[in-house]
Amino acid sequence: MAFVIIAAVIVVGTVLFNLVTPWWFTPLASNWGSLDQTIIISLWITGIAFVLVSAFILYCVVKFRYSEDRRSSYEPENQKLELQLTVITAIGVIILLAPGLVAWQSYINLPENGLQVEGVGQQWTWSFRFPGEDGVYGNTSGSLFSSKNTFGLDPNDPKGQDDILIRDRQVHLPVNQPTVFQLRSKDVLHDFYVPQFRSKMDLVPGQHSNLWFTPTLVGTYEIACAEYCGTGHWAMRGEVVVEDEAAFQQWLAQQPTFAQTMNEGSAGNGQQIVQSLGCVACHTDNGDSAMGPTWKDSFNTQRNTTTGETVLADASYIKESILNPSAKIASGFAPVMPAYALSEEELDAIVEYINNLSTE
Amino acid sequence: MSEHKTTTEQLILKLSHAQVFVYLLLVVITILFLFVINAYVFRMNFDDWQALPDPRLLWVNSGSLIAASLGMLWASKASKNGNRDNYKLGIFVGCLFALVFLIGQLIVWQQLISLDYFVASNPANTFFYLITGIHGLHLLGGIVALAVVAYKSQRLSDVVLLSSQTSLLATYWHYMLVVWVVFFGLFLTT
Amino acid sequence: MEQSATYEGQPLHHPKGWWGHYVFSQDHKVIALQYTTVAITIGLVGMILSLMMRMQLGFPGLFDSIDANSYYQDVTMHGMIMVIYLLTALFLGGFGNYLIPLMLGSRDMAFPFVNMLSFWVYLLSVLILISSFFVPNGPTGAGWTLYPPQSILEGTPGGDGLGIVLMLVSLVVFIIAFTMGGLNYITTVLQSRAKGMSLMRMPLVIWCIFLATFLGLLAFPALFVGGIMLVFDRLLETSFFMPEIFKGGEVLDYGGGSPVLFQHLFWFFGHPEVYIVALPAFGIISELISCHARKNIFGYRMMVWALVAIAAISFIVWAHHMYVAGMNPYLGFFFATTTLIIAVPTAIKVYNWVLTLWHANIKMTVPMLYCLAFLITFLIGGLTGLFLGNVSADVPLSDTYFVVGHFHMVMAVSPVLALYGGLYHWFPSVTGRMLDDRLGKIHFWITFIGTYLIYFPMHYIGFLGVPRRYYSNEQFDFIPASVGDLNQFITICALLVGASQFILLYNFIVSATRGEKAPKNPWGACTLEWQTLEAPPGHGNWGDRLPVVYRWPYEYGLPGATADFIPQNVPDEQIT
Repeated sequence: MAFVIIAAVIVVGTVLFNLVTPWWFTPLASNWGSLDQTIIISLWITGIAFVLVSAFILYCVVKFRYSEDRRSSYEPENQKLELQLTVITAIGVIILLAPGLVAWQSYINLPENGLQVEGVGQQWTWSFRFPGEDGVYGNTSGSLFSSKNTFGLDPNDPKGQDDILIRDRQVHLPVNQPTVFQLRSKDVLHDFYVPQFRSKMDLVPGQHSNLWFTPTLVGTYEIACAEYCGTGHWAMRGEVVVEDEAAFQQWLAQQPTFAQTMNEGSAGNGQQIVQSLGCVACHTDNGDSAMGPTWKDSFNTQRNTTTGETVLADASYIKESILNPSAKIASGFAPVMPAYALSEEELDAIVEYINNLSTE
Repeated sequence: MSEHKTTTEQLILKLSHAQVFVYLLLVVITILFLFVINAYVFRMNFDDWQALPDPRLLWVNSGSLIAASLGMLWASKASKNGNRDNYKLGIFVGCLFALVFLIGQLIVWQQLISLDYFVASNPANTFFYLITGIHGLHLLGGIVALAVVAYKSQRLSDVVLLSSQTSLLATYWHYMLVVWVVFFGLFLTT
Repeated sequence: MEQSATYEGQPLHHPKGWWGHYVFSQDHKVIALQYTTVAITIGLVGMILSLMMRMQLGFPGLFDSIDANSYYQDVTMHGMIMVIYLLTALFLGGFGNYLIPLMLGSRDMAFPFVNMLSFWVYLLSVLILISSFFVPNGPTGAGWTLYPPQSILEGTPGGDGLGIVLMLVSLVVFIIAFTMGGLNYITTVLQSRAKGMSLMRMPLVIWCIFLATFLGLLAFPALFVGGIMLVFDRLLETSFFMPEIFKGGEVLDYGGGSPVLFQHLFWFFGHPEVYIVALPAFGIISELISCHARKNIFGYRMMVWALVAIAAISFIVWAHHMYVAGMNPYLGFFFATTTLIIAVPTAIKVYNWVLTLWHANIKMTVPMLYCLAFLITFLIGGLTGLFLGNVSADVPLSDTYFVVGHFHMVMAVSPVLALYGGLYHWFPSVTGRMLDDRLGKIHFWITFIGTYLIYFPMHYIGFLGVPRRYYSNEQFDFIPASVGDLNQFITICALLVGASQFILLYNFIVSATRGEKAPKNPWGACTLEWQTLEAPPGHGNWGDRLPVVYRWPYEYGLPGATADFIPQNVPDEQIT
């Protein structure tokens, strides 16, 4: 009897939990309500099935308790009943599958006149690209990546010259416009996921993938990487700012084109390098603590290491920490930083940048 | 209740335990090789595929493997007839030429490396080394099994007792030959 | 060629000395115990790893030593250990080895020497896996799915060290062990059954283990090939799966490979793998539920056909793990359809178990409690699978805690409940003693309620969108603080459930030597393993003469008979 009572509590609790759960879909901010609908239909059907079957089980346990003087009924099979149950289940499955497939058809059908944006993922940050005036993305190649050419664009391709580069993990989008994302990764698998938009798709190095949505609510939304990509996977956060058309155009006009970035100066500045290489995923410039030590007010300070030494955080320390991070780990931090093989120019630029983050 | 000589159920397949085991093993190995071929065919369509030259030695090696199979066939027949001398000769031929094949394959590897066809420089190279490597390892496993049976034949007076094991080994040899022919054909035509 | 149809023509191997009896034994019962011991031991390691993960999620910062590296190593090793080295080895190596010859009326497996070899090779694979904990930079932290490129690169623990290499080598060795054992099982089931034991008179657990073995033999080669190619990419810098990669400020020396190819290979193995775990659990439930409800299993033939259908369809659903992996989107239609189709035979099995209870005579023994708990938790786990299989519903839910909740329910909670039920049920057969009932019930309740409380709420933070494989949620505003509270609650439940497993262990050890002596066939079961002359069965199982089978294994409640069960080897003339 104890079992029946406890199991009944579990079953009822399971159903009631749906009414009181504090964790539910985030407020929908895109056109993909059909995905929510499919889930809700699934909840109803599976919920009903769960209650019916569980109730039947508990009924049997109560009604058919063991008794010496009884015998169970001897019924090896009942083909008619089996057939009926199969048909009912098949119908249930079709009711689930049909709306799901209809929604999928819509999901994979990229709108032809949508706003084109490219999302580029890397360990452990995001960057973005718009195709610019000509509406066509410039060619890219994996072998062209460098900390200066952080999108791997082919400088000889005229289509790429006007591409607008967002070398930042925040991108802006205009509200109520269907937006088609082309997705690309520089290194390993990542996944572009904004819970409020519902859509997600992996970024696969060596190929393109796509997703599309229409943002319907103005606001700022977080991009959460949804495919394991190494020790910084949980810190790979980006932002999508949805705003009205005018504000969007204003923001876009302030962003540089590829041609402009190529003219920026030799090694690029340190701030660009740390953004383009993803250092910002773990190090902040404002004093906040993160996976790695903050750069603010750090240059030329004394620092304790996990081995008990005290070192000076000078230029050579910083360069060593980039080329061979595991040599000295700052105390209180984990030994998770991968090594970066940078040129002397790039290293100098970073040192200068970090130096400038110290208040005099 | 009457005494039954056969105290087990009617067999699904009129095969011995060892035959079921080995045939099923061949099915599993086939699936493994099918996956490799699948990956090969998928990869060869990409632009960076550069076909390897055809080392002449591969033809000689193929001949060795054919000779090995013939040796095993001979051994198999000899064991059924209880012909001990022919049996030992057949086993010897089967084992020797399988080893000659393997050594020949290693020499081919050496030749390719000396011509700068390294394993990682091109996917065609990688697949060549992978396929010949996996095939070679499976053949080596067969040679180990053959050694066990050959050892047993030393201690038994009547080789008919080994006829079922020998014919299964011969089947394995023929299978390895067929697999090699398929892969060799694949290399030649791509 | 004359059929070597019977053990009666072949001498049974007789062990010599202590080593031959207990260590290098070729007796399937000893080998089963060896598999079980190693699997449970490594399973405890896997459980402790999961508790370390839970400490980070529930009480972040409490243990400084759990940094992002060690967290991901815990996640990865926990997953791989549990799926492969515990569940697959215990269900197939442990239960399979013990039950197949006994339930089929055979003296031992078709090839006892190969059977013994398979155990030692399995042990070798476990030792190789453990050794990865002791290499510099530790074991791999690539996630149990080991996806390239990250799994073999710096930035993932063990990626540029020995961790990933040892994992892959260990898997290759395991697959060799599995192949040896699996071929043995198939041969034994097909060719070594007692007279009268036709295929359609085999107990369902044997059908399940038989089909699971088939699945393994056909699916593991895909992992084998994928693993070897990944090792090549790691050690020889080939590019099977490695495209051009810009990392650490430089373009790496790879190019042209496809990470999605690895996923296809992995999941072609990976999906049948979950049925390799689930099917034996189904089989155990079929045996337990009919025996403890004193009623024949409902719809035996449909159960067999459902199993065959599940096994066959399981090979064409794999890419439902890859809906958002960047593969051709039109494949989504195909795989969603096949995935939801496989729900139908699975549902039939659930109906048949449930209908077995209808007009039954149910004894609320510990095994029956586990059966009922299995049904409830498998319902949850199976039904949530319908959400994920439906391709568009999977889009928001993929890689969130909804998936974590789902797969733990179907792989960890329900099969483990079935497993525990099986241990309680067959313990008297193995040891001749009963497990303590009271301890059994305490262990049951804590495990059942505890695991439900752990995994059920996860589905809802999945709806919220909390991604999986996150070391910490603090970076994200859309994740409220209440999720942290839930994580704390779940961790506490996990610690309690983890601790309660030691009740089972204690029960095992004490009852094995001091438990109440079991009468022969204490549960009144019809299947052959309880009908041996000696209990526990001696070497060779059947004494002088193999049994002869006259009926199916579920003759419970036969009208007109005095006893409420008739064992399989009792002819009609002897029924009173």
